[in-house]
Amino acid sequence: MVQTISNGSKPTMNGIDPALKPRLRRRSTFEYVAWVVSILFGAGILFSVSTNPNFKWDVVAKYFTHESILRGLMLTIFLTVASMVLGTLLGLVIAIMRSSSIKPIAATAGAFITLFRGTPVLVQLIFWFNISALYPNLTIGIPFTDIGTAIDTNALMGPITAALVGLTLNEAAYMAEIIRGGFSSVGKGQIEAADSLGMSAATKMRKIIIPQAMPSIIPATGNQVIGMFKETSLVSVLGVAELLQSAQLIYARTYETIPLLIVASLWYLVMTLVLSYPQSKLEQKYSHTSARVPRKSRKVVLTAPEGIAR
Amino acid sequence: MSNDGTILARRIRKSFGHKTVLHDIDLDIASGEICCIIGPSGSGKSTLLRCINGLETVDSGILKVNGDDFGYYETDNAYHALPPKKLAQQRTRVGMVFQQFNLFPNMTARENVMSGPVLVKGADKKESSKRAQELLTSVGLGAFGDRYPAELSGGQQQRVAIARSLAMDPEIILFDEPTSALDPEKVGEVLGVMQDLAKKGMTMVVVTHEMGFAREVSDSLIFMDEGYVVERGDAREILKNPKEARTQAFLKQVL
Repeated sequence: MVQTISNGSKPTMNGIDPALKPRLRRRSTFEYVAWVVSILFGAGILFSVSTNPNFKWDVVAKYFTHESILRGLMLTIFLTVASMVLGTLLGLVIAIMRSSSIKPIAATAGAFITLFRGTPVLVQLIFWFNISALYPNLTIGIPFTDIGTAIDTNALMGPITAALVGLTLNEAAYMAEIIRGGFSSVGKGQIEAADSLGMSAATKMRKIIIPQAMPSIIPATGNQVIGMFKETSLVSVLGVAELLQSAQLIYARTYETIPLLIVASLWYLVMTLVLSYPQSKLEQKYSHTSARVPRKSRKVVLTAPEGIAR
Repeated sequence: MSNDGTILARRIRKSFGHKTVLHDIDLDIASGEICCIIGPSGSGKSTLLRCINGLETVDSGILKVNGDDFGYYETDNAYHALPPKKLAQQRTRVGMVFQQFNLFPNMTARENVMSGPVLVKGADKKESSKRAQELLTSVGLGAFGDRYPAELSGGQQQRVAIARSLAMDPEIILFDEPTSALDPEKVGEVLGVMQDLAKKGMTMVVVTHEMGFAREVSDSLIFMDEGYVVERGDAREILKNPKEARTQAFLKQVL
């Protein structure tokens, strides 16, 4: 016998099965007000920006792909990539030193981190640029002997080198903390398991700790790249012709300050947006609780009932 | 006579801060012996086990594993800590199975089993892989070699962990509550694997709450409470006729 269960709902006029009716989200009055206000506000700004002749959008358009701007952009990208790569490598070394059980090594790394995170990047950059005031000649050789060669520090430490050194050392300090945070996210049981197998410290680091720390390190590193891209604008004070300085050089000549700053800003914005996409992908990929399962294993087809639950 | 597979401890002491967790513990475990350590939580049984493979260091006393002073070398007036390499070498001869399995999540089951031989002993990858497959088959997981730990059940993970310990060919395996984190229905499969191991003459020290396992498989039994060994002897004898009042009270609660 077929049983019919009363659904307890009123019979409908238009014949839609009550069990299949869509469930609608509640919209508050505040939501409608917010829409109206923000649209008005946005339109107002857009109107003002497009009608104010002082923005000189034609000048912006003219310089947006100007040769020296593009050259500046290239240098900015180079500085970002170079200082991130070097900073991450150095940061890894510092992080490993910081987690060493040998006190003087851990303390040295701690001092490095404190020093370079505790002082402004801008000050550090100017400092490295003027390092020749401290050490006019850089001598490479064996201490307390006459063996070795001296190099003029001014010749060695040009603006770009100073920029690279400053950004790298600063980045290394931040990356060291990020990497060390990643290390400490690896469970104690993992380290005990590796120890009980008799693994050496180096193998443990390479095969157990670093691979497992990656999910927490990689998204944070992506953020650092985006931050570094904008941070490079600071090196303009050293006269390095990166993106901002290139714009400044032009408006020093033409007095079209605002349009050129807009050009530079637009490029920073474009690059940040371009970098944000892979960054958000990375974050998604590593934010899952199953992040600990490496990519390869996702191919496995889950059988019911687990498969259905997803 | 070879001392392989033996554990000898005399007056082992261990404190955390000012709390003494092991009071003058003596141990004599023969090669091939199966010894269960039981007791309430916080009685020091896990700590004792962890001392035997160097996850904790003892404060004083004699500890000889496989006939050698463990983690230290003796001179006329002191024990000196061994260099890490020597300690690691001693550890390869003592396997450990953890309550929480502690498989490496970034490696497949087979890679986990291979990790010891390949990463520690520098063994050939192909041969180790073959051996790992045999070991996985012996714990009933021959078809699961390519799975990652996250894709295995608790019982399966623990069996992989046992295979990982076996891959190092240790003389002794220590089990730290190997079934406590498992669903009740998965306990049997792990105990079964341990029972097989016992038959093969492996020295096993098992911290456990499984009285059934202690009764059926174990040779000797140690009951610990508050850092003391309260009672020791033949496993079946103690479980049937405990002499100490504290043991009687404990067994009454758990049986």
